[in-house]
Amino acid sequence: MIYFHWENKTPKEAIMKRPMLIVALEMVFAIALVGVVSAQTINVLFWDDAYPRTLMEKIPEFEKATGIKVNIEILQPPQVFTKTSVSVTKERTDYDLVCVDEGNIPLFASLMLPYDQWGPGKIYKKIDPNTVTPAMLEVGQWDGKLVGLPINGNLYVWMTRKDLIENPKYKADFKAKYGYDLGVPQTFQQMLDMGTYFYDNGIVSGGFGPFNGGPAGVFGEAIFMWYSFGTHFIDWINGKPTLVVDKAKAVEGMEFYKKLMKIAPKGAETMAHVERQAAFCTDPKGVFTQFNWPAQIASYEDPDKSLVSGKIVYSAPPAGPSGRFSIRGTWAVCIPLATKNKDAAAEFVYWWASKEIASWLVEKNTVPARTDALTDPQFAKTKPWLPAIAESMKYAVARPRFNEVAEVQDIVKKYWIMGITGQMPCNDAMQKIIDETKNVLKKAGY
Amino acid sequence: MRRKMSSKKLDIKQKNATSKTNKRTKEGKARGRAPFLFLAPAIIIVFAVLIFPILFSLVVSTYNWPLSEGAGIRRFVGFGNYLALTQDSEFWNSLKLQLGFIFIAIPIELLFGFAAALLLNREFFGARIVRSLLLLPVFFLPILSGMTWRFMLQPRYGPLNNLLIKLGAPEISWLGNPTTAYIAIIVQDVWRMWPFMFMLLYAGLTAIPQELLEAAEIDGAGFWKKLWSVIIPLLMPTILTSVLLRIIDALRVFSEVYVMTEGGPGSATMLFSLYTQRQAFGYQKVGMASAMAIFLLIISIVFALTLVRKNMSLDVLEEKAGA
Repeated sequence: MIYFHWENKTPKEAIMKRPMLIVALEMVFAIALVGVVSAQTINVLFWDDAYPRTLMEKIPEFEKATGIKVNIEILQPPQVFTKTSVSVTKERTDYDLVCVDEGNIPLFASLMLPYDQWGPGKIYKKIDPNTVTPAMLEVGQWDGKLVGLPINGNLYVWMTRKDLIENPKYKADFKAKYGYDLGVPQTFQQMLDMGTYFYDNGIVSGGFGPFNGGPAGVFGEAIFMWYSFGTHFIDWINGKPTLVVDKAKAVEGMEFYKKLMKIAPKGAETMAHVERQAAFCTDPKGVFTQFNWPAQIASYEDPDKSLVSGKIVYSAPPAGPSGRFSIRGTWAVCIPLATKNKDAAAEFVYWWASKEIASWLVEKNTVPARTDALTDPQFAKTKPWLPAIAESMKYAVARPRFNEVAEVQDIVKKYWIMGITGQMPCNDAMQKIIDETKNVLKKAGY
Repeated sequence: MRRKMSSKKLDIKQKNATSKTNKRTKEGKARGRAPFLFLAPAIIIVFAVLIFPILFSLVVSTYNWPLSEGAGIRRFVGFGNYLALTQDSEFWNSLKLQLGFIFIAIPIELLFGFAAALLLNREFFGARIVRSLLLLPVFFLPILSGMTWRFMLQPRYGPLNNLLIKLGAPEISWLGNPTTAYIAIIVQDVWRMWPFMFMLLYAGLTAIPQELLEAAEIDGAGFWKKLWSVIIPLLMPTILTSVLLRIIDALRVFSEVYVMTEGGPGSATMLFSLYTQRQAFGYQKVGMASAMAIFLLIISIVFALTLVRKNMSLDVLEEKAGA
């Protein structure tokens, strides 16, 4: 037993010294604890989606295996963009790891640690970038460097109602009317024919499900149509984003989309993801065909949320006059230059992007970016969207990326919707897009 | 000698007088400083939360100031942002929409609020409960109100279109048409804020002395005469206060409109406040957004001065009360 020799002290001294000793010990303990905690804690900024939310279930395993605590902040994509803008500079950062939407990579690339400077990993090996599908890998590249690891296989995949195309009555009826077999639309014309057939006969609420929500999404639809009709919009030429659009072809694309809008569900002028999901999944008649982001497939296939679970066939998008294209919308995980926890952050990414976790994520109906997870034969039957995503990746194209893209997205959204809803002739709408985009590029010094 | 003595005495007297004056001035100064010392904490807080942000905004508005460091370096541009705004058609569109919003929504809210206040300015069974229930919309969070109206106006699943279909009318895409979308955001605001007007005007009505109304009745004044000649003049300060408070609030309306339409379709509901937010957080142009904020501040001051100075001076109030 240890005795404290208080008997030689005055009562007052004895009374004072004991609590002071306890306080001193507590302070030492607290400092040690803070020191331990701060060295082993990383702050991560996620976008809010089924994919990161699913991953959160597994994080305690990572924490146990590595001793690294993960603090997660999960926000809607626009807020992730704002938070990254204000919280990350070259000198300081509130986050050790941020998720960056591919369109924003140019804006943040100079603030992020290039992948070739990430550590080797202690418990989880550094991921070979070639495990990521080449079409996705491009997302994390800017100015000749890989500045982040693409983390989800997100690009347009096409959904068509299997129960409708396999219905014998509809098959016979359609063949009699149009002269070819009902099936998954392979071309835009087939999509229009089949969608019109089902819509005009009152079989569906919408022959086609457009997207007319946020500017980035509408921009994606417009780029998809323009590519499909044979024109790019903005390309990087001699180190500058340059307007290269062929107006006549772009107008053709817009006019075709206008025809598709005539067989769209009511309220299609403002359909965003929530409305599209409601129209496709919970409307008793539903929608015949539309694109979807793989991140949302889980909800469409959830029998508790969807009347069409198990009734969807997945494919690459149908081909326009100039071929098939699939718009990419992938996220990359990046480590800010200013972080003091580079190695811990890298360890988390290596765990996240490992084959084991990628396979687990696939089982949970989310879509990682690893080729081997997406093409694993064990999932082909139970996850029919995976082969379709792999097929779509062959046709992946990106929306233009440059710092001022947000202004151009707003311009495109405004006049694209005016054109496809008939508020303005498509020719005039396209001219407005061209004129105002030229202004933005000129003001930006390009 | 005498002269010398008297001049010496004079000097002493003058010195005494000066020293007394000095003492009094010092005491006066000390007493004069004391109130400021007591006020200092409040002044510091007002400076920190009110004056400094405005001054900082003013400074930022003279810079090309990207939100993210990755978007470029900060550069002084003087009045360049203000000039750029005057050449921006979207800026004028958003200003027009915002002013239209104010000049349409607020008079309707005033009318509804005033009518309700007049109707409910009497006692009947359940009057207190009715008055309390009427106030409920004001307590709705703006974002909740916006979301509720967005779902109510949904063409396929919204209850409004369901009702129209049952009555044999066609479905309307309320938020998909530029005109109906603009009307919808005004209707939403009127629904949520007319009880605010009712609350203030009812309080004002109850403060009007009954004797004046009785005297008017004795003089043979009917309802409309009493309303025009007695109630409205006496209620004018309350009316102007309510209108001013609503204008200040309406100039900042954001979350409910953002949730309902995000400024669309196209830019049909891109109010000034939404465009300011888009400049700052969408286009990363904090300098431009600050210039817009300063512009909004100037508009608010103009409204306040116009309403307050002309109609709320004591002379004018006394004159109106006398009449």
